[in-house]
Amino acid sequence: MSVLEVKNLTHCYGGNTPFINDAVSDVSFTVESGEIIGIIGHTGSGKSTLVSHLNGLLKPTDGTVLIEEKDIWENPKEIRKIRSKVGLVFQYPEYQLFEETVFDDIAFGPKNMGLSGDELKKRVTEICEIIGIKPEYLEKSPFDLSGGEKRRVAIAGVMAMRPQIIVFDEPIAGLDPKGRQDIMKIISEYRKATGATVIIISHSMEDMAMFTDKLLVMSRGKLVIFDKTENVFKNGKELQKIGLNVPIVTRVFYKLKEMGIDVPLDVFTVEKAVEVLKNAKAGDRNA
Amino acid sequence: MDNIIELKNVSYEYSNADEEDIAYTAVSNLSLNIERGSFTVILGHNGSGKSTLAKMLNGLYKPTKGDVLVDGINTKTEETEIEVKRKVGMVFQNPDNQLISSIVEEDVAFGPENLGLDPKEIRKRVDESLKAVGMYEFKNSTPHHLSGGQKQRIAIAGMIALRPDCLILDEPTAMLDPKGRAEIVDTVMKLNKEKGITVVLITHYMEEAENADRVIVMNDGVIIADGTPKEIFKNVEMLKDVGLDVPQTTELLYALNKNGMAVPTNVLSVEETAQVIANYLEEK
Repeated sequence: MSVLEVKNLTHCYGGNTPFINDAVSDVSFTVESGEIIGIIGHTGSGKSTLVSHLNGLLKPTDGTVLIEEKDIWENPKEIRKIRSKVGLVFQYPEYQLFEETVFDDIAFGPKNMGLSGDELKKRVTEICEIIGIKPEYLEKSPFDLSGGEKRRVAIAGVMAMRPQIIVFDEPIAGLDPKGRQDIMKIISEYRKATGATVIIISHSMEDMAMFTDKLLVMSRGKLVIFDKTENVFKNGKELQKIGLNVPIVTRVFYKLKEMGIDVPLDVFTVEKAVEVLKNAKAGDRNA
Repeated sequence: MDNIIELKNVSYEYSNADEEDIAYTAVSNLSLNIERGSFTVILGHNGSGKSTLAKMLNGLYKPTKGDVLVDGINTKTEETEIEVKRKVGMVFQNPDNQLISSIVEEDVAFGPENLGLDPKEIRKRVDESLKAVGMYEFKNSTPHHLSGGQKQRIAIAGMIALRPDCLILDEPTAMLDPKGRAEIVDTVMKLNKEKGITVVLITHYMEEAENADRVIVMNDGVIIADGTPKEIFKNVEMLKDVGLDVPQTTELLYALNKNGMAVPTNVLSVEETAQVIANYLEEK
């Protein structure tokens, strides 16, 4: 069953002014439950505007967003209920921490959903176990944590609402390589534990190759490709035309092909590259 | 050797606002020379002290111990503070925080205007700077209509309009898409090679260090490695230990070796990597 369907979504900023501009234009796609979807696109391509529609933060100028086959704007008064179904983690979410303790900050979302007492406590401790926030952290002030830790707490706050769909807008921007791996790991852990559908916006093609099932490619407000990740990275030339690229390891294979060596081009991870080259060498010997 | 910047036993300690004691030592007894005209990349995990170090290079932060000399001038001397900032310009992570005008050329002119230069000279410098970063045709545009990479290039143009000897860039590509990142790296490389501007680039993207003259790795406020990119990225294990990584090309060559395929590991670029793999496949 499709958990999310976006139909002919258009969003126009600055309507009735000379600066009228379609940030998202006629975008349609369907996401199945449990999939990991990556969204890539140049800056200003409409990625953030698009995902802000998924939990009703923005209302489409035109088109519909269906969660579990129900139009989220059918009853505008109920829109807040959608926010516990679809969690949205913004860019630099650590700037949104505000409570006195880590516990209170993580509990803020579930509390607003109406949870209290033991139930609330359980929600918070459960999510901390899943993504590895140590119990002794819960009484600390979030402002005493390092940048990477703060981001982890901020993400836990959204996850504690147990959304069925969780959307991350550039979750690894500004982090060092270790920090990036840690965040990608907690996203995988959450998905493993809850079976949630995950949507990630990122500029890191290498991470996208490793973590996503499908990629949605945006350019100038339009959806230009929506396909399995491997199929998208096969279109290297297409991606480069719109300011994106394929993973570095894939570029090495493009170069090899250019040099007249018979290698496949659907190599997006180091593991796959090793396997392919091993076979290529063995094939040589057998020939 | 001609050094533009010299750091002598420099420490930087953050103290608690209400107490006298030291809360945290960000940079610890560090000595370093930056050679005039060189291209240096500084790597290190978040909290390793690289940004604190960068802010000491143009006197934005004064060391709590030791001295920083810019072209022989101590950054602690108040009378020469402006001279130091004119010699060493800084570019930060978020381009939106660095642009102040609603028209590109006015933004670039802001620095030279504040130097009180002759209008003709300002015009000349603005045009030159915009050309140097490849943004001349956008001189009458509005910055917020430009892409992240373009805005960051405007910020760089604003700096070079002041004719600095040295540019410090603190994660200038962190918020950019792949194309924007490539634009910035190419621009900075060009300024270094063609205009002879000394560059210190701080980044979390290992592949941006590929063409540097020198790579410095920081951890816990000290330098733990210093060498050419090829020398540094040889130490795959060491880099991973301090929360860093290697370019994916290096990772591939190491993985091949681990799996019994003896390819050389002393190359970094995509082209060189493809070449050594091609050579290996052709060996009988």
